[in-house]
Amino acid sequence: MTDWVILLQNLANGVLMGGVYALVGVGLTLVFGVMRTINFAHGDFVVLGMYAAVLFNALLGFDPYLSLVIAVPVGFLTGMLVERLVLARIVDAPPESALLATLGISLIIGNAILLTVGGEPRSVQVAYASTTISIGGVHVSMVLLVAGAATVAAIAGLYALLHRTEIGRAIRATAENRLGAELVGIDTRAIHAIVFGLGTMLAVVAGVTLIPLLFATPTNMGAVFTLKAFVVTVLGGLGSVGAAIAGGIVLGVVEVLGASYLASEYREAYGLAAFLLILLFRPEGLFGRTVKRV
Amino acid sequence: MTTHLVGLGVLVVVGAVYPLVFPGALTIAIAVLLFAGWATAWDVLGGWNGQVSLGHASFVGLGAYVVAIGASHGIAPWWALPLAAVAAAVLAYGWGWTTFRLRGPYFSLSTIAVAEILRLIAINEGWLTGGATGVFIATLPEPFGIDLFSRTAQFYLALAFAAGVIATVIVVSRIRFGYQLRAVREDEEAAMAAGLDPTGVKLRAFMLSAALTAVGGGLYGMVLAFIEPHVIFSLLLSVQIALTSIIGGRGTVWGPAVGALILVGAGEAFRTTFAQANLLIYGVLILAVVLFVPRGIVGELVRRHVRRRYARRAQS
Repeated sequence: MTDWVILLQNLANGVLMGGVYALVGVGLTLVFGVMRTINFAHGDFVVLGMYAAVLFNALLGFDPYLSLVIAVPVGFLTGMLVERLVLARIVDAPPESALLATLGISLIIGNAILLTVGGEPRSVQVAYASTTISIGGVHVSMVLLVAGAATVAAIAGLYALLHRTEIGRAIRATAENRLGAELVGIDTRAIHAIVFGLGTMLAVVAGVTLIPLLFATPTNMGAVFTLKAFVVTVLGGLGSVGAAIAGGIVLGVVEVLGASYLASEYREAYGLAAFLLILLFRPEGLFGRTVKRV
Repeated sequence: MTTHLVGLGVLVVVGAVYPLVFPGALTIAIAVLLFAGWATAWDVLGGWNGQVSLGHASFVGLGAYVVAIGASHGIAPWWALPLAAVAAAVLAYGWGWTTFRLRGPYFSLSTIAVAEILRLIAINEGWLTGGATGVFIATLPEPFGIDLFSRTAQFYLALAFAAGVIATVIVVSRIRFGYQLRAVREDEEAAMAAGLDPTGVKLRAFMLSAALTAVGGGLYGMVLAFIEPHVIFSLLLSVQIALTSIIGGRGTVWGPAVGALILVGAGEAFRTTFAQANLLIYGVLILAVVLFVPRGIVGELVRRHVRRRYARRAQS
């Protein structure tokens, strides 16, 4: 292979991985944008989605992607429930409280999975897991393409919801100014519950989409996903849904290019280093619009 | 002040006789004391100064690695521990210098990233750290014929560590620096208006917190005698240290120690029920604390005590 084909291959891998990262990050950024809560349990909801697909596949024998039919509504309701039972009670407390509460939820989810399903890595067996499509010498993984399509669909759906419906207007109003939204008659408590439900649902969708590629493990993986989601949202700009795509792609490309042209052991570190640099020099994110410094 | 000194005295006396009374339960007592020390050290930054770090496992790991690598080069622990403290302070200086421009959740996020990068370095730089498999501490010197691998000796070292950190915090809470810490925590702008340099204060708090944590990390290395980067640099250890302090009561002298007693005790009590899932109890407890006692256990007790005293004074 010539150099530029390798480069194209790397870029394609990076962009596709980036699509996956964007899918993981978009729920986190939605929740942060509206509720100003950094959801430490986000990655654990992703893992929950993975286990939903694993169990669906193992117990019923259907294609893991079909578990979305159940996982999407259940994820939405779980998120709403968590918001109602926990976050709604501390909405006026210092922002740290919400961070700590979601950290607690994260520990509970991870360890509850460990208790019920066990600690050994689980995945699904599907025929298309290793299928690749070749375009001009560049190979792309089928599952990653599906994940990319899911990202585009999820973000397009979210965009339509936010900009084309009455609930979306209410969500955007709440994000902009909670008190102002309440003054014009928006039930911001209900909006918060819906938004957290949506965020959880997006995390679960990401988990189901990813399961043919990865092995699910209960406790560590949640933290890894949460960190990735943070990196994605901070790279793109916290609170901006469209920027999550850009942030995800930047992260994917930085990791893949760093791993292939620099030392590959430090693959994860390149993303984290980019994350720290962005936090330090452009805390509003590469594509964020708010110019206020944190 | 006197209450704190009495408490410290009780801790030292109870600790001194503990190995004679419960010689079979030393390992768990060491865990309580190490966590008490780490959580109290974390609290210098996280409680008194209000900067929530989720990366303190880095300093635990740094301390453990300095002691282990030192031991393999014939450097005795009593030289390696101060060295670890200095190395941690230097690391905290560089780390804080870059990240203290960020506030609140942004700072917490950056600490996770820095700790992850350190973990990757420990795993990949095998020439220094033994790589992913970790390092053994094969031999330790025997000062005055004391075997540093024995649990009793390690218990007294951990006791000295915990008591030392708590004593440091008692002193810090009384001196000018302690008031600066609290001023910056409450309102950075107001502190700046009063002539303080918030970044400088946070940096010094971070360095002190890091140095103390690394000393405990060095002791932990001796207790484990085998240091794996996955364990010692894990996010879970960072989270455990932070939660111990928060559940016990941030910004109080005894809160982190009480938190350590409760959490390590609860972890041990549920070990048989939950096996490796004993962090579940941390999750449940932190939720309970955030929802019902946001000041933490000791913080809430102190608040009630203060209110009662004011009420009594108002009546008389």
